[in-house]
Amino acid sequence: MESPIHPNHLQQPLPQPDGSAHIEDERSKVMFGFTIFLLSESIIFVSFFVTLIALKLTAHQWLPPGVSGPEITTPVIINTVVLLSSSIVIYFAERALERNHLGKFRLLWLTTSAMGAYFLVGEIKEWLGLNFGVSTGLVGATFYLLTGFHGLHVTAGIILQMIMLARSFIPGNYNHGRYGVSAVSLFWHFVDAIWIFVFSLLYLWQAT
Amino acid sequence: MTNNPIEGIASAHESEHIEQETGWQRYFFSTDHKVIGIQYLVTTFIFFLIAGLFSMVMRGELVTPESDIVDRPLYNGLFTMHGTMMIFLWIIPTQVGLANYLVPLMIGARDMAFPLLNEIAYWIIPFAGLLLLSSFLLPSGTAQAGWWSYPPVSLQNPSGHVFNGELFWILGIALLGISSIMGGVNFVTTIVKMRAPGMTYFRMPIFVWTVLSAQLLQLFCLPALTGAAILLFLELTLGAPLFNPFKEGSPILYQHLFWFYSHPAVYVMVLPAFGVFSEVIPAFSRKPLFGYRSVALASFGIAIVSTLVWVHHMFASGTPGWMRMLFMLTTMLVAVPTGVKVFAWAATIWNGKLHLQTPMLFALAGVVMFVFAGITGVMLGSTAFDLHVNNTYFVVGHFHYVVYNTITMAIFAAIYYWFPKITGRMYAEGWGKLHFWLTFIGANLTFFPMHPLGLQGMVRRISSYDPQYQSWNIVASIGSFLLGMATLPFIINMVGSTLQGRKVSDNPWHATGLEWTTSSPPPVENFEEIPVVTSAPYGYGKSKAPSPGATDRE
Amino acid sequence: MKKILNTLILAVFVIVSILVSYWLGQQAYSWMPAQGTAEAKRVDGLFSFLVTLGTFIFLGIVGLIMYSILTCRASEGDFSDARPDRGNPKLEALWTGIPILLVLWIAAQNFSIYQQIDIQGLTPIVHLHIPSATEPADAATIVNNNAKPVSEQIEVVAKQWSWTFRYPARNVTSTELHLPVNQSASLAMRSEDVIHGFYVPEFRLKQDIIPNRIITFTVTPLREGKYRLHDSHFSGTYFATMTADVYIESPEAYTQWLAQAAARKPAPAKNQAVAEYARRQEYGFKSNWPSVAPAKPPIVNYSS
Ligand code: HEA
Ligand code: HEA
Ligand code: CUA
Ligand SMILES: [Cu+2]
Repeated sequence: MESPIHPNHLQQPLPQPDGSAHIEDERSKVMFGFTIFLLSESIIFVSFFVTLIALKLTAHQWLPPGVSGPEITTPVIINTVVLLSSSIVIYFAERALERNHLGKFRLLWLTTSAMGAYFLVGEIKEWLGLNFGVSTGLVGATFYLLTGFHGLHVTAGIILQMIMLARSFIPGNYNHGRYGVSAVSLFWHFVDAIWIFVFSLLYLWQAT
Repeated sequence: MTNNPIEGIASAHESEHIEQETGWQRYFFSTDHKVIGIQYLVTTFIFFLIAGLFSMVMRGELVTPESDIVDRPLYNGLFTMHGTMMIFLWIIPTQVGLANYLVPLMIGARDMAFPLLNEIAYWIIPFAGLLLLSSFLLPSGTAQAGWWSYPPVSLQNPSGHVFNGELFWILGIALLGISSIMGGVNFVTTIVKMRAPGMTYFRMPIFVWTVLSAQLLQLFCLPALTGAAILLFLELTLGAPLFNPFKEGSPILYQHLFWFYSHPAVYVMVLPAFGVFSEVIPAFSRKPLFGYRSVALASFGIAIVSTLVWVHHMFASGTPGWMRMLFMLTTMLVAVPTGVKVFAWAATIWNGKLHLQTPMLFALAGVVMFVFAGITGVMLGSTAFDLHVNNTYFVVGHFHYVVYNTITMAIFAAIYYWFPKITGRMYAEGWGKLHFWLTFIGANLTFFPMHPLGLQGMVRRISSYDPQYQSWNIVASIGSFLLGMATLPFIINMVGSTLQGRKVSDNPWHATGLEWTTSSPPPVENFEEIPVVTSAPYGYGKSKAPSPGATDRE
Repeated sequence: MKKILNTLILAVFVIVSILVSYWLGQQAYSWMPAQGTAEAKRVDGLFSFLVTLGTFIFLGIVGLIMYSILTCRASEGDFSDARPDRGNPKLEALWTGIPILLVLWIAAQNFSIYQQIDIQGLTPIVHLHIPSATEPADAATIVNNNAKPVSEQIEVVAKQWSWTFRYPARNVTSTELHLPVNQSASLAMRSEDVIHGFYVPEFRLKQDIIPNRIITFTVTPLREGKYRLHDSHFSGTYFATMTADVYIESPEAYTQWLAQAAARKPAPAKNQAVAEYARRQEYGFKSNWPSVAPAKPPIVNYSS
């Protein structure tokens, strides 16, 4: 990362050397703390994956009679592509901010949120069209568990993005560094990576 | 986040704290780690008394073989809440409170890494505790499936209400889990990122090492319990048949998830206690901790091995033979790093100059009773023998020797030892010794008889039992009432000494460690000036004459 | 001179510890209930070994600590430091190494005893569901390493909160478990609701019964007498009442009992949980929290 002093803040007094050290400190603390938090959070997902795998391997009958598992339909694929590519968009948003293109940052940032929202809407649509519910056998239980829990994370990610977007309008917001934005962006990559596992376990691996 | 640019961000930060310092608000809305530490200690002690009160009722019920004092659903609710509260609202958070107070002081930091997060993590505790307790008022009563909450029993919900005790249990556990994760993030970041200049890892006091390893366990094992709670919730409330054996679900799966956390949890509980022993014993032996490096590394050894042993709680479950043997072996291996610590303590007092004041008495008794508990633990780890005593009072005896006779003793040792630091006053030694002897005798009278009972085959979680078991039960019950009374001198001592205790110097024990270099009680940001550390901890033996505040500080 | 004395004290201490450990190890047999089965003998042997070793370790460490407490007290007002002694790599290696060996020794003992008991109670939990490999659903492996033949397999049914035993050959059902002495008995256990546990202290064995699965369990009773079976896995409100009588008897008495039971007409058995649930006993303090209703009392040929 570059120095925390940015041209567009030059109209304000420069940080003292010890002040900038403080910012650097704060940044490294927050990013470190947030990273271990995500690692910890991922264990919840791991416990769900283990649950799914164990049940899928041992169940005599995965699909109750008359139920077909979640299918890879075109909307599901589009949804997946949208979500995964939003990771690229948010990367460029973050880069734009680093280069202090504030306008470009806001645009790309908003695009990311929109893609996330698109994914969520698509998922809800899929839920409404399914022929099984949470209590319909293991397939239903695990499907809603994983997509639901992942969906909550997508929602949380969008809310955090909105907060960061709002904050970007506060003058001097980035004097303390941009670790808020970095953390949210890290979170978003995390949510996307999790989706790859969710997708593989639920859709690609079909059991009977 | 403040927007005022620069102008010494550090000082803006400080003034925030100083503003809060005045008035009663300081004790409610402070982000100072020391205030939060005390909040934790006081709150969890109240929960300890409540959970202890439940155990008094249980012991009262068990005086006679018949079920007569409380009806069966209530008895089941009582031991469920006793176990849950003792573990999640006493042993674990009270040590978080201690660590909150001590870790920043010990590593030479001004506060925890994320003070606001720290405050939120604390406030979840009383809230979750009250939530759990409020389930006594529900028409369906509290959760009654034991602190394990194993399905299918835990999901039976005879009342049919959506708001039932089990739901409250799940919510309480999930909330406490969130609080613990916040704590874990905070502690690990603080220890990794905020050590004073010169405070290398191998200059940290053992207490900090144990907190670090315990909090890493929290971070990486606790989510499994949160996951399990979410799964229980889905099945209880929405009917997802995840654990329902008649609908292809697997109740065993829950057991794995539960113990994947709850076994390491016992080391989350015991590691800081080991840390306390490692601070108190050198101070009162006037000797450095023997084999510092190996003790420090043993903490990590214990943490790592402990993530690989959880199936020893499930030997009698649907566990195949190869799994039984594998986990027997890993279980036994925990004895090795643990032994390293025990031997180090024994070697520390060897040829020392012992001062048997209250903290030291609690610490030494704690170590001795821990060895006993550890040996019964290794017995339990022996699968073939465990199949006999599993789910009997032998297990109850084993773990109370750790959770009470070791860890609670360590907590008392810690409270007495750091009392002058926290309050600037000295506790009353006579009352302290009285507390010690009542506790020591009461605890052994209560928990020792559980071993023969278990060997004889008395099953746990029963409110009526075969008359052949009565005599030992009477002994245990008498012991437990003594133990309940033993808390009185402690409470009197703490309240009295905080208000009227003799004022003492900053370092009355002539102990080493950064926390003793600052004033008692320490100022808001701990140190006038951040100390620079230049030598290993436990610098005892450098002075022949008493010198106040012999430390590493330059 | 002092050194010799110290060595002497140490030697005496070690010898006394060994003797005490050995003695306690022998005592350990008497802390256990009667040995009802072949398995019990082996488990008790293991326990005695664990007590001996455990006592020795305990005495060693506590002796060391007590010795220091007695001899190394600082005098009143003496706040000087003791001679600093920061460690000793050899000693530390020793007390890492010896416990490793001890632990491996315990594990080996345990492994061999476990092999001898060889209760292959359960079919493995994770059987991969590969469609091509046809496997009998819930096949029960009966492992019998004793010379005596396995008598017929007895069905054990656990439910909230009662035990029922069925002898298929004569179609006898009972709330008591009768087993012939000196013969391996094979039990096919199942649960109709929640997890229960099969536990007779004199047998030294315990096995959880997972609902919707058949779990087989083999024991060899060696000693005639009346024992008590207790549900060992917490199963809800009336868990404490879920007991049953177990009779180990001579083959003659056993067949006689079977015949006698077969002659009786099936009738509902007495059941404490049902009785308590209906009666609402007198308690010092009543919560009146709802409970799962007990299953109907089993209908059996024979009940006490
Ligand atoms: C908080 C504390 C705590 C601690 C530290 C421990 C420590 C240990 N525990 Fe314990 N345990 C519990 C809390 C704890 N336990 C609880 C709460 C339960 C029951 C939960 C429930 O069912 O509700 C339980 C249950 C439990 C079981 C399950 C029994 C059953 O349900 O059937 C087992 C089985 O293996 C076990 C084993 C051990 C072992 C091997 C250790 C080891 O870590 C001990 C190691 C220490 C020593 C061995 C002593 C010092 C070492 C030496 C001096 C070296 C030389 C020694 C040898 C070579 C032997 N414990
Ligand atoms: C940290 C853990 C911890 C601690 C400290 C204790 C402490 C005690 N425990 Fe606990 N216990 C557990 C954890 C703990 N327990 C767990 C996990 C279980 C398993 C639960 C399960 O099966 O699911 C259990 C189960 C358990 C049982 C078995 C119940 C059964 O299986 O049927 C018994 C029985 O005697 C018991 C007794 C005691 C006693 C007498 C104390 C004593 O040490 C307590 C001493 C009492 C006090 C210090 C309080 C004194 C207070 C007063 C006298 C009143 C004042 C009150 C107010 C002002 C409000 N406990
Ligand atoms: Cu799959 Cu049996
Ligand atoms: Cu364990």
